Amino acid sequence: MMPDINREERRKKRAPVIAAIVTGSIVFSVLLIPADWQWLPLAVGTSAAIAVGASIDMPGGRRTGSGLSRRGRGSGLGVRGRDDGDGPAGVAAHRWHSLAIASRLMSPSAGRRWLAEADSLLSEIAPARRGAAIRSYLLSAPRLAVMMWAREVPRRARLGPRRPG
Amino acid sequence: MSLRLTVQVQLALQALLRDPAREMYGLELSEETGLQPGTAYPILLRLEHEGWVTSRWEDIDPRAEKRPARRYYRLTASGAVQASAALPAARRPKSTALRRLAEGGGTA
Repeated sequence: MMPDINREERRKKRAPVIAAIVTGSIVFSVLLIPADWQWLPLAVGTSAAIAVGASIDMPGGRRTGSGLSRRGRGSGLGVRGRDDGDGPAGVAAHRWHSLAIASRLMSPSAGRRWLAEADSLLSEIAPARRGAAIRSYLLSAPRLAVMMWAREVPRRARLGPRRPG
Repeated sequence: MSLRLTVQVQLALQALLRDPAREMYGLELSEETGLQPGTAYPILLRLEHEGWVTSRWEDIDPRAEKRPARRYYRLTASGAVQASAALPAARRPKSTALRRLAEGGGTA
């Protein structure tokens, strides 16, 4: 099951951040950068704003009570880090978020299944092997995403456009 | 058949073929084959897409078991037949090529 996402709450929190990034990059580029290089802070600012905006739809987060934290409780990787205290919590949490982000490369159902299987396996694997397992999941994700979309796109084309209701 | 029998795919099939009726979950397969879990998953998925393997979620209460449900994989009847036939054939070209090389008759 995919976690519940309190999207509205995150949108409200992220909106001022996006506004600050956009304003900051415009001010920085106009006031401090020579004309030839003004595009650079604008490009960086735009990318950062898009990244922050995209994170609104990302599953999980560090909020207690989210679906992901509920899921993380039984597994080896909780949202605050490893349950077994075998390494730096921040690193494990970061890797878990990387898996969640990588799952977004895939179609929703495929991404959910991949993430759920990774969660299941990582909860049982020996702590010493967990890092390598996560890396292997992350490394295989792009190819897997291509493989899954290669199946999903013709399927969706066959089904035709989705109708509301 | 669009399935390419790479060495990793052969390893996964060999592990599944040891007992075709047995269900294996990802970690089990990964430990038996020595493949990393991230490598084993796409292989199992491809085998499933080809109809060689079937899978199901374990029916447990994760809270009671204190772990998430496992996804179990098992060879289908036709998959077991196809895998048994394909594995020796997949090994043959390589061993033939090696034999030719050893005999000094390898051609570019």
